[in-house]
Amino acid sequence: MRSTFHGLETARRALYTSQTALQTTGHNIANANTPGFSRQRVNLTTTTPWPGGGMDRPAVPGQIGTGVQAGSIQRVREGFLDMQYRSETSKFGYWDTRHTALQKMEDIVNEPSENGLSNALDRFWTSLQDLSVHPEDSGARSVVRQRGVALAETFNYTSQSLMAIQRDLQKQIDVSVKEINSITSQLNAINLQIAKVEPHGYLPNDLYDQRDNLLDRLSQLVNIKVEPVRSGGIASEIAEGKYTVKLLDDHGRDLGITLVDGHRLTNNELAISYDEETGLVDTVKFGPVGFDPKAPGNHQTLSFEDFHAVGKLKADIEAHGYLEKNGVEKGIYPKMLRDLDQMVYTFVQEFNRVHGEGWNLNDVQNGEKGNPINFFSFDGINPTVDQVKGAAFHLRVSDDIMLGGLNNIAASLRGFSGDGANALALATVKDSFLDFGGTTTTVQSFYQGVIGQMAVDTNEAARMVRTTDTLRISVDQRRESIKGVSLDEEMTNLIQFQHAYNAAARSITIVDEMLDRIINGMGVAGR
Amino acid sequence: MRTTQMMLANNTLRHISSNYQRMGQIQDQLSTGKKITRASQDPVVAMNGMRYRTQVAEMEQFKRNLSETYNWMETTDATLDKVTQTLHRVRELTVQAANDSYTADQRENIRKEVSQLRDHLVGLANTKINNKFIFNGTDTINPPVNEAAIRAAQEQALAEGEVPSLENAVSTNDQNVNIELLKGVYVPVNINPTTVFTDKLFSDLIKIEQALSNPTTSSADISALIDVVAGHIDNVVNERAEQGARFNRIEMIENRVWEQEIIAKRIMSNNEDADFEKVIIDLTTQESVHRAALAAGARIIQPTLMDFLR
Repeated sequence: MRSTFHGLETARRALYTSQTALQTTGHNIANANTPGFSRQRVNLTTTTPWPGGGMDRPAVPGQIGTGVQAGSIQRVREGFLDMQYRSETSKFGYWDTRHTALQKMEDIVNEPSENGLSNALDRFWTSLQDLSVHPEDSGARSVVRQRGVALAETFNYTSQSLMAIQRDLQKQIDVSVKEINSITSQLNAINLQIAKVEPHGYLPNDLYDQRDNLLDRLSQLVNIKVEPVRSGGIASEIAEGKYTVKLLDDHGRDLGITLVDGHRLTNNELAISYDEETGLVDTVKFGPVGFDPKAPGNHQTLSFEDFHAVGKLKADIEAHGYLEKNGVEKGIYPKMLRDLDQMVYTFVQEFNRVHGEGWNLNDVQNGEKGNPINFFSFDGINPTVDQVKGAAFHLRVSDDIMLGGLNNIAASLRGFSGDGANALALATVKDSFLDFGGTTTTVQSFYQGVIGQMAVDTNEAARMVRTTDTLRISVDQRRESIKGVSLDEEMTNLIQFQHAYNAAARSITIVDEMLDRIINGMGVAGR
Repeated sequence: MRTTQMMLANNTLRHISSNYQRMGQIQDQLSTGKKITRASQDPVVAMNGMRYRTQVAEMEQFKRNLSETYNWMETTDATLDKVTQTLHRVRELTVQAANDSYTADQRENIRKEVSQLRDHLVGLANTKINNKFIFNGTDTINPPVNEAAIRAAQEQALAEGEVPSLENAVSTNDQNVNIELLKGVYVPVNINPTTVFTDKLFSDLIKIEQALSNPTTSSADISALIDVVAGHIDNVVNERAEQGARFNRIEMIENRVWEQEIIAKRIMSNNEDADFEKVIIDLTTQESVHRAALAAGARIIQPTLMDFLR
């Protein structure tokens, strides 16, 4: 036997459910422009029909529907696309950072231009040519000295500016590390909250959104993998659980490093340790929050060579420079600095050798060749063939030439002041084949090679930025196409649910009239 | 595929910003006149650009070296021309003096003129350009001929009748002053002075004076001196011939330098200069694309279903 008020109850459920649907639609509309928001959907299900099966079931036509309920409120989102998006974002973060670092380098060397190193070399050569034509002219000598100073200063400036950027990159690395640690601790906090909510059967959609958003941000810094951990209690089938976040290499292999632990609900911090002597990165360490990287035990240590998680952090470290396990300095900036040092050292060795073979004006006056005098010197360091570090930064025109006077410039080869043969020999140093740490070529070719390599690297990085960005955007488009709020759609839903609500209200009126007939309109026959 | 307002708005923004990027590149090309402003935009153009700039700088230097070379050569040639004329005059005077009918007075007059001419030759030997002595090999800050020593020798010769040795009065520096006129091409710009302004030249001239001042000198003795002078004239002529040949070679080198400079500049320009017609057409195209993107954006973002629901 069915309840008299069955229709009222069915309509009431419809009212409530339509209200829930309308409210969720309102929530979607309100968050149409909230970053990271995924639209939500009320999963409508019918309530248990009547009568249920059983031994004492009434013999009535059945089953009769008892109405609707909001089964759950769920995010409309595609997890697989999130994975794709994050792996592209890691690549994009890597190439974008690398490209920026290379572009800064490009700005400093500024080639080809009227004020780069190449031009300073050309002008120095020109002044030596002029000296070879007017060896007895002190004006020509002072131009050689000035252009020598200009050349040395250009090397100093280039080297110094590169080092300044290298220091900035170190700050950037530290910022990235702080950001990673901050994101992992936030992720852990969200995991904790989710662990409190899910076991009651709720779906904390907005927490999920925040967590996904943090993961998107984290993936730009390092390549990550997410593993869900189911909550206990009466957690819903479609609950997403707590997340364990691990580092991945570019082939999708696990690096064995856990950033956020979804089982134990803790997160690990990351610390970069720098080599004392060179200031370059040597290892990456992972340990519990607040661990001391200098203390032994309690943390994992990875040599940077084995740190394959692509992303902004890796690109920053590669630009700033790191030590390989065998102690070799690697990286974009260390390589450029070393090339400049090598170029300066080799060129200066040869230039000084040739200069020492000539007669300067004092030798000419004394009628015998004195001790060889160096034209260039290194201020405060003594580079050698195996250790050229700092040559570009410390290059100076020697004190003998700066303070000892212009007469110390050796233009002559045979002891007469009008003989410019040694100035000519000095001019040809520019075109002589020298050994630049294993590469035999001329100083300008060597430099052009260095610049060319840098240009090619920058060009490749720029291309990869475009490629990864395009892929990232197209995945994001597909993601957005699923999770994004479409106002038109929400408006349509509003109207749909409003009509459903109104119709439910109407059916209450109908039931009301029916009951009115029964209660007020019956048993008054003959009135 | 579901498409939302947010996607359209984002796309519109992205298209507009990439259009701006391209416009920026075109603007750079127009305002610098160069194809590239960064090496990475075209590494090959950048590397070649560096090489071509160096080549242009080298050619400009060789042009400067050439003008100095011409300075030397032309002054040398003009001076040697005067030397030849002077020696011809000495020869004429010697021929005149060899005439027996000349009196001692007339011979004395001729001697005086020869003396003047000798002084003139000393002056010519000590010719300077830009404060450099051009007839002293590489020793350009010292005069090749010591005027005082020559005078003293002359006085001594007239007094004692014997010409002293002039070895120390005249420089023997015969080194070349080389100037680079093309990559690896070194050209000597001076003549070998030891073939023209020899100590023998000056001592022979003093010998003529001494012979003219000596009343016992016969005309045959003087005639013998004519050939001596002629010998010196030949030396100068030979040196000038060689100098002339070298001058021709330098002119040929100059043509090559000019040509190479033009080629180097042209190659440099072809390599790195922007093609204006192309850039302007690119700009126009880009402009219309940009306008289309803006117009589309304006229309797409605007209407929603809300506009049509009452």
